[in-house]
Amino acid sequence: MSPASTTGAPADEARRPSPLAEAAAAWLPVALAAGLFAWFAALLPAVSGGAVLRPTLEWVPSLGIRASLLIDGLSLTFALLITGIGALVLLYSRTYLAGHPHYPRFALFLTAFMLSMLGLVLADDLVLLFVFWELTTITSYLLIGFDHAAAKSRRSALQALLLTGAGGLAFLAGVIIIGTATGTYSLAEILGAEVPLREHPWYLAILILVLAGAFTKSAQFPFHFWLPNAMAAPTPVSAYLHSATMVKAGVYLLARLHPTLGGTEVWFWTLTVAGGFTAVLASLLSVRQTDLKLSLAYTTVMALGTLTLLLGQQGAYAMTAFATFLVAHSLYKASLFLVVGCIDHETGTREAEILGGLARAMPVTALAAALAGLSMAGFPPLLGFIGKELAYAAAVEYSARPYLVGGALLGANVLMVVVAGIVALRPFWRPAPAPLPRTPHEAPWTMLAGPVLLALGGLAFGIFPGLLQGAVVNPTVLGFVGPDTTPAILRLWAGFNAAFVLSLVTFAVGIALYLVHVRLRGLIAAAEARLPDFDTGWDRLMEGLLRFAIWQAQAIQTGRLRTYIAATFGVVAAALAFALLMRGRWPEPAALGAVGWLQLAPVALILAGSAVAALTASRIAALAGLGATGIGVAIVFILWGAPDVAITQLLVETLTVVLMAVAMLRLPHLAADRRPGHGLLALATGTAVGGALLMVLGTPMDRRLSDFFEAASYPDAHGRNIVNVILVDFRALDTFGEIVVVAVAALSALALLRAARTSSGRRAP
Amino acid sequence: MEVLLVLCVGALTAASVYLMLARSVLRFLFGLVLLSNAANLVILAAGRLTTVNPPLIPEGASAPAAAVANPLPQALILTAIVIGFGLFAFALTLVLRAQGALGTLDSDDMTLAEGRPVPTTEDGR
Amino acid sequence: MEVDLDVLRPEIYLALYAMGALMVGVFGGKDRLTIPLIWVTAIVLALMAWWVGVRESAGLAFGGLFVDDAFARFAKVAILGAAAVVLLLSQDYLERSRLLRFEYPILIAFCTLGMMVMVSAGDLIVLYMGLELQALSAYVLTAIRRDSVRSTEAGLKFFVLGALASGLLLYGASLTYGYAGTTLFSGIVEATADGVSLGLLFGLVFLIAGLAFKISAAPFHMWTPDVYEGAPTPITAYLATASKVAAVVLLARLVHDAFGLNVADWQQIVAFLSVASMLLGSVAAIGQRDIKRLMAYSSISHMGFALMGLAAGTAFGIQAMLVYMAIYVAMSLGTFAFVLSMERGGRPVTDIGALNLYARREPLRALAMLVLLFSLAGVPPMLGFFAKFAVLSAAYQGGLLWLALIGVVASVISAFFYLRLVYFMYFGQEGEGLDSRMAPVPWAVLMVSAVAMIAGVINLFGIEPLAAAAAATLVQ
Repeated sequence: MSPASTTGAPADEARRPSPLAEAAAAWLPVALAAGLFAWFAALLPAVSGGAVLRPTLEWVPSLGIRASLLIDGLSLTFALLITGIGALVLLYSRTYLAGHPHYPRFALFLTAFMLSMLGLVLADDLVLLFVFWELTTITSYLLIGFDHAAAKSRRSALQALLLTGAGGLAFLAGVIIIGTATGTYSLAEILGAEVPLREHPWYLAILILVLAGAFTKSAQFPFHFWLPNAMAAPTPVSAYLHSATMVKAGVYLLARLHPTLGGTEVWFWTLTVAGGFTAVLASLLSVRQTDLKLSLAYTTVMALGTLTLLLGQQGAYAMTAFATFLVAHSLYKASLFLVVGCIDHETGTREAEILGGLARAMPVTALAAALAGLSMAGFPPLLGFIGKELAYAAAVEYSARPYLVGGALLGANVLMVVVAGIVALRPFWRPAPAPLPRTPHEAPWTMLAGPVLLALGGLAFGIFPGLLQGAVVNPTVLGFVGPDTTPAILRLWAGFNAAFVLSLVTFAVGIALYLVHVRLRGLIAAAEARLPDFDTGWDRLMEGLLRFAIWQAQAIQTGRLRTYIAATFGVVAAALAFALLMRGRWPEPAALGAVGWLQLAPVALILAGSAVAALTASRIAALAGLGATGIGVAIVFILWGAPDVAITQLLVETLTVVLMAVAMLRLPHLAADRRPGHGLLALATGTAVGGALLMVLGTPMDRRLSDFFEAASYPDAHGRNIVNVILVDFRALDTFGEIVVVAVAALSALALLRAARTSSGRRAP
Repeated sequence: MEVLLVLCVGALTAASVYLMLARSVLRFLFGLVLLSNAANLVILAAGRLTTVNPPLIPEGASAPAAAVANPLPQALILTAIVIGFGLFAFALTLVLRAQGALGTLDSDDMTLAEGRPVPTTEDGR
Repeated sequence: MEVDLDVLRPEIYLALYAMGALMVGVFGGKDRLTIPLIWVTAIVLALMAWWVGVRESAGLAFGGLFVDDAFARFAKVAILGAAAVVLLLSQDYLERSRLLRFEYPILIAFCTLGMMVMVSAGDLIVLYMGLELQALSAYVLTAIRRDSVRSTEAGLKFFVLGALASGLLLYGASLTYGYAGTTLFSGIVEATADGVSLGLLFGLVFLIAGLAFKISAAPFHMWTPDVYEGAPTPITAYLATASKVAAVVLLARLVHDAFGLNVADWQQIVAFLSVASMLLGSVAAIGQRDIKRLMAYSSISHMGFALMGLAAGTAFGIQAMLVYMAIYVAMSLGTFAFVLSMERGGRPVTDIGALNLYARREPLRALAMLVLLFSLAGVPPMLGFFAKFAVLSAAYQGGLLWLALIGVVASVISAFFYLRLVYFMYFGQEGEGLDSRMAPVPWAVLMVSAVAMIAGVINLFGIEPLAAAAAATLVQ
């Protein structure tokens, strides 16, 4: 599958893929992505006409898992973004990583990611969706860690994997509950159910688990910290996974389940507060960065927060705003990331304070950056403007808490203007403050196609919003609000209303802040230093977990046999005590038979023998004790009608003692030991065992089986000794087994002795 | 009599637990012998103590004449004794081998544990 | 009697084969015959697995002492298959550690026989017998490594704790007999028709404690890491696979066949064992650097998941448990095949630091291990995910939401250490590596197992209807 080894060092020339493989790796994925894009685009007319496609295949029927797809407006929008941006990014990375020894592997990972992501948004079956969900996590892990020579990227890769993986598992638990609650894993059926999940008794559990999955994946506070770290990945990966597609999986999930989970107070408050807070916090942190890529990473977190915030609301207006902003953001953000990649590629740096004057050397890039940046800042006539207007309108005119929602949006959008200025305009249009590491010139067309096309897309949809409205926004909104709503209209000029006023305020404040952004940056940095740092917290958590694990293992696994034995007794005793407590009553005491003098003799023998064996330090005395005990037990057998058993017992007991006496010759002497603690434990165990036996004796005996043996012994098996008949006839299996056990014991002993002999033989010269 | 038997089982169990908790594996072996004795007595008692008559069918009859002792537990005990002996014989070889290979029967001196190497003097007990 | 013997034919043939092989070994060429004996035994076991899988049988023998139903057959196929693979894996290892002794394959055959008796036991004494047969062979196989102090110590510890567990089991069997008047499962279930008395509950506690030891379910797991570390690696693989299947299946049979009318009485105990094993196994594995110890904790944690299916108390739960065990065995065998190949300068290495940047040197093997480790961690789309999914669903459907949630938490924790291994292999630091030598058989086992983890996604190799049928015979 994956070729060659994993080093990032270009040293191993021998393992370089052949030119043919290189060309295949370069162009096949692009063709695949473009082809898929065309195929999905061809579905547009049908889906925008309201059709929902559901191809299905039975998969693991007894677990209720089906490989079924659900293609409606929402999933098709995502599919188009994934394949369209995917094609451009693949085209781009071919040049960006040209000559990298592991480019074929990179292309493989990226293509695998694209297909997983497609699977995620198209899956109808929730389990299937989860499978793809985790696949995107894994491919993302491999892509973040692609340049793993850097310790930082390894750590980031692991962090992203663990955090989103853990969230994914929580989501899985939610999936299982949903599946059992509704009796199906099919999204279409869950959404079409008469009783929505929000009225299910387990609603809160489902919500928490689903949100845990969505928030970790989409980097919502307090899980926001992994996404900026993931920027250790090569820039095309950041553009694709960590901005346009994968991180939107959480948002996709929320949008998908919005009709059945949304609309409650909990939903509104959780999503609004988390989304709003994330948006504002992330945009502040974005301004604080000087690395252009990091800055963009934080604006992505901001966008995800805004989307979450919008999903917290109800109604067609908010949903229209959601769909529009989703598309707008994917277009401008992917474009900007690719632009930053071009800058980095051409100049060797992405430091905001070093860059300048690039417009002359890279005019096409500058144009793309300007268009995308203006869309991000929300200037007309770009799509970003329409998205922002709709969001404001949804907040101010339709939200239950206009000030809260509107305030959060305003704060975030103002800062977006600032960041757009820093990232998209300043490096190009201000005079160069210092000589750059490399003399810049325009990147090749393969690297320009992506940013330019995406930026132009933002412009085209801004000028002709009807295109987007009919093809994508309406089906999306209808897809998750239901066919009886009317989506809001996308237009550049919606009249002089509250939203427009807010836009004006946004521009004014934004531009003003941009002018002082260097000072602002200092202020934010100072504030940030006082806040708890989640990233270090994460490291501490990991260290703590490791230390706890080692401590726990050492505390339990002492290697000392006695501890293990004592623990076993302790656990059994606790279980018995628990059983007693649960039942809450003591057993009836047994009715006891009379005691004769004759019977006291073996009892005395057993008691004395076991006491001696337990307490003596002399091996001979211990053996004598064991022997006495054995004889006592044999006498008990004789007294209660078991002469055969008694004879066997005597025989075995004698053999035991003899064998032991012989073995003693080669074994060390015993040390005297007095262990009062163990003595107590032993007495307690003895009492418990005796007590349990006493309880048994207190209940009447079910002798049916024994009566059967007594009656059937002679007629069926012609035996007068019932015990023998049982052994060789009714329970012949036991006897057969005994023989095998003895044979194995002999073989085992032989094996051990042989091993001992050869080993001592080897040691002797 | 039952109470005496219960006493025996209790005493045997207590003695065997005490022995099993000892540092020396040899003592564990003693404990094992006592434990199998205790188990056999428990099986006997579980079949109830009714009579001294062994479960035999007299000549000329097709069923026992009077009440006889419960035959089933006796069969089970025989099985248990034989298996127990096999186990014991094997255990003895194992102990001999351990003495030869490890040079000790003190289970505290054994080294397979977490976080090795742990000096045996450090753990205090 | 003829019918009885017919039911027992696989067991009888295996016993006869083992005894015959013993004769050949003792009076024939001694250790020179070991390698042919290994191959013949492996083939016999594999053929037996196939035969048990396809044959029809009357079901009951000796009045219910021995049960050969679809449930037992499912387990037997897994056990026999695992045993055959372990034998094949052993050959190279035995040769290189100069351990070619004819007892080895014969003991494996006896041990496997004990397991087959265990999973078919319909009676407490038969259960005890099968268990002892299996345990005796396992003790000696653990201690068989010559001039290894560790191996002897592991064998001794294994024996001491195993004998203790057997004692608990026998005591529980006696108590149960005292109450039910029979040791037959079918008789016990009749006797408990109107509830389980306190005394019988005590008996059940002892029985489950004894079996939990064999399963190495926490808190009876403590022998596991020490024994896994000290035992010869193929034996570790054997203990981690075949022996676990036998013990889990035996527990399932006991609680369903003998106490099936009183699910609530044992459900809590099993759920407790499950939680303790999952959490303890997952957490303790994090700090491990010895891969054999790590696999020990991993198997403890996996047993927790399998027990989760059992705790559900439903037929679906049993089905999930069987699917889980089958997949677990397949992925463990592949992993151990890899562990067997971990050598440096011809000497076995178990420190996971040796895996550093393994992917750079052996990309294909590293990829196979990546698949297996992801699968062990339960990451989709590998087969291991479907196993986890099945038991989690079963637990939730059995009304044990809390158990399923703890299972999810444990999965997260265990993902941590499996992925750490992946991390070492792919992103580790430069260091002393491993030899690149890997014998053909382990290589093949590793690859087949890894491919199966992916290819099985298509329809789980059809094991899941079989498991459903098997579960249906156990739970009526």
